[in-house]
Amino acid sequence: MIEMTPAARERLDNYLQRMRSELRGTRAVVADEVEQSVREHIEIALADAHAPVGATEVIGVLDRLGPPERWLADEERPMWRRALDHVRSAPEDWRLAYLAFGLFLASIVFLPVGGILLIIPAMIVSRAYIELSRDRGEPLGARRWLVYPSIAIVLAFAVGLLIVGPPLPALAFAFQDDGFEQVLDIPHSRAGEVRFVLGLGSVLYGSWWIIAAGFCAAFLRPIRFVFAPLLDGVRRKHFAVLAAIGALVAAGGATLIYYRH
Amino acid sequence: MTQLRKGLLELAVLNTIAPAPLYGYDIVRRLSDVDHLVITEGTVYPILSRLKNSGLVETYIEESQEGPARKYYRLTARGRDDLYRMNQHWDSLHQAIGGLRKERKR
Repeated sequence: MIEMTPAARERLDNYLQRMRSELRGTRAVVADEVEQSVREHIEIALADAHAPVGATEVIGVLDRLGPPERWLADEERPMWRRALDHVRSAPEDWRLAYLAFGLFLASIVFLPVGGILLIIPAMIVSRAYIELSRDRGEPLGARRWLVYPSIAIVLAFAVGLLIVGPPLPALAFAFQDDGFEQVLDIPHSRAGEVRFVLGLGSVLYGSWWIIAAGFCAAFLRPIRFVFAPLLDGVRRKHFAVLAAIGALVAAGGATLIYYRH
Repeated sequence: MTQLRKGLLELAVLNTIAPAPLYGYDIVRRLSDVDHLVITEGTVYPILSRLKNSGLVETYIEESQEGPARKYYRLTARGRDDLYRMNQHWDSLHQAIGGLRKERKR
């Protein structure tokens, strides 16, 4: 082991770290073997230098070895590293879009271990990117395929929540407890029971859709902003339609309950 | 150009160790003396590792009185056969390209 000044040692360690990182995952070469050979090269090259060897001498040897990033041909490098470099060297305009898509992909890949939480930062980055493009007056073009998926997933989840909503757990709770059977006067016949369940469900869902439509209509601007540009075309009249459907469903449900016996 | 240089560098490495086993630093020094061949010295080590992986080259360690123990590289029997074929291919290619250049000069 050659005695070096702390600055020289730091230079060398940084260089070896870069080399390890560059060779990691490469199938064509054995990273440990290359590292061992390079260490041997450095030791031989510095064998005649006066101890402790200074940073200047070490830098001279490392400069002749060249940057490890240029040692391997592109096709020898692992696919993930090439992809990473592609993102790094991509036009600046695309990087945020790539990041958004990367987070979206990570949320899918790591779904079993709570990866779904990554969808929120993915959506925030996507939205930031869209706003940036709008400010610059640039059309998104093909980049929309990188930024839309995370917004679309969150929107689908929100719509699902809006449709299913709280009535489902409320219904489950109502039929879990036998005491409710007496209070609600549920018929004992099979047909009557079905009519009652359908009726109660329709009343709950219809009412919920009216409330949800009212809420969405009241907060239309922030909702459109959060899910832009996917909800840019949504107007208050669309929520009026939802409320009307809710009223019809609730009325139908009430009729079914009234004629349950 | 990079691909061509890389292929040539492999051929050069094999030819360098063909007469006698050499250690890495020595191989690099010898190749550095060949003009326009080595891009950077470090390029040689992944090539040596790849050649070893392909079974064309093998290594052994020998103690040195002048410094650390050195890893020597030598051709395997397969490496020698491949090198013979590669050199033949190189000679005929060199001749063919030389012929093309002569025709252009006329």
